[in-house]
Amino acid sequence: MIGDLDFEIVGRTLPFLLKGLEYTAQLTVITALCGTAFGTLLAMARLSSFSPLALAAAGYVNLMRSVPLLLVIFWFYFLVPVLLQSLTGAERPPQIGAERSAYFTFIMFEAAYFCEIMRAGIQSISKGQASAASALGLNYWQSMALVILPQAFRNMLPVLLSQTIILFQDASLVSLLNVTDFVGAATKIAQRDSRVVEMYLFVAVVYFAMCYTLSYGVKRLQAKIAIVH
Amino acid sequence: MIEIKNVSKWYGSFQVLTACSTQVKKGEVVVVCGPSGSGKSTLIKCVNGLESFQKGEILVEGVSVGAAGTDLPKLRSRIGMVFQNFELFPHMTVMRNLTLAQEKVLGRSAEESTTKGLALLERVGLADQRNKHPGQLSGGQQQRVAIARALAMDPIAMLFDEPTSALDPEMINEVLDVMVELAREGMTMMVVTHEMGFARKVAHRVIFMDHGEIVEDAAKEEFFGSPRSERAQQFLSKILHH
Repeated sequence: MIGDLDFEIVGRTLPFLLKGLEYTAQLTVITALCGTAFGTLLAMARLSSFSPLALAAAGYVNLMRSVPLLLVIFWFYFLVPVLLQSLTGAERPPQIGAERSAYFTFIMFEAAYFCEIMRAGIQSISKGQASAASALGLNYWQSMALVILPQAFRNMLPVLLSQTIILFQDASLVSLLNVTDFVGAATKIAQRDSRVVEMYLFVAVVYFAMCYTLSYGVKRLQAKIAIVH
Repeated sequence: MIEIKNVSKWYGSFQVLTACSTQVKKGEVVVVCGPSGSGKSTLIKCVNGLESFQKGEILVEGVSVGAAGTDLPKLRSRIGMVFQNFELFPHMTVMRNLTLAQEKVLGRSAEESTTKGLALLERVGLADQRNKHPGQLSGGQQQRVAIARALAMDPIAMLFDEPTSALDPEMINEVLDVMVELAREGMTMMVVTHEMGFARKVAHRVIFMDHGEIVEDAAKEEFFGSPRSERAQQFLSKILHH
């Protein structure tokens, strides 16, 4: 059977596969950016002295972190349109589309993880820094944006990037919504041409090469930050 | 200028400040001393609202610090504060530390803030370090930058919270020299410190605190001459005889 392998199929379908990889990369980068932004706001809410806000944020984060990602993907894809339909009283569920739903799901889900990272980052900055910012007359938002968050972000950069690498791998789950991401593209060709082994081997090798390289880069970065400190 | 009236504060059921009353007049230098845990740092942090208090009132030029409607950022921008651990912003250059609040709080232009910052760095003898980051400076240098940063806001008064306690002995004097100069220029100062040499040199009044209470509040000569309370006598004999 191994003798029957035809890896030329990879070359023939490469443009299609690369388009899938491009979608996956785009989903990863946009989710990482928006997820970090939303996650940072959630972290600020969790650390707020206004307890209803802190409780609401904690509830959201714990909920997202307690359910499997695949389930959340299905929730948003299948249930949110129905929910919107009943809320708006429309005749049919609105068509959100798998790709848009995927972006939305990932940002909402990953924000919970980025929240916990940023929360640890904010807590790693001594209380004296916030006091000094306040004593100079900076208000809460200024001292967060100019003093606390830049330091928290810098301390947490390796962890944020590691989480992004995990996100890059998890993004393959969207193929279950029939989205043509990298795995989705490979699946489509594998099924059309009955080349399952070749396709999934190729995808695995690409994932391994990219994630390993990125992890190595993060490790180097971590060492560099540790020296500066 | 600063009036502290009957201020009490609790952490849960533990009382850290008990009916503290005193005042600092314009141009006056008041040293606050006392054993650790006596509440002196807490009291000074109440003056610019970094710590809240449950009873009493603090007025800064007639503005009540604890009142609900008070614009705390505005009030704080008018009072300089120097911390035990310097608390310079490590991700910014020395110069940016001095210009940040001038621009963001006082609305000064970048040019104006830089000119002001440079003049103050020169004054504390660190103009040549302006492009370094705080981590590259010694503790004494960092604390002098912190004083310059507070002065850049043109404060009406300065609060010092144990400004030399985190310093190596050989660096204490360079910081005290800056503070003495400031005092002699007529800056209103409230200083929490164990440096009795500084108190003798420039203080007008000395406040002695113990267990959250102001035990003694006397003119300098009186305090060092013959402290009335036994606790102040014991404290003084402990820190002066070694």
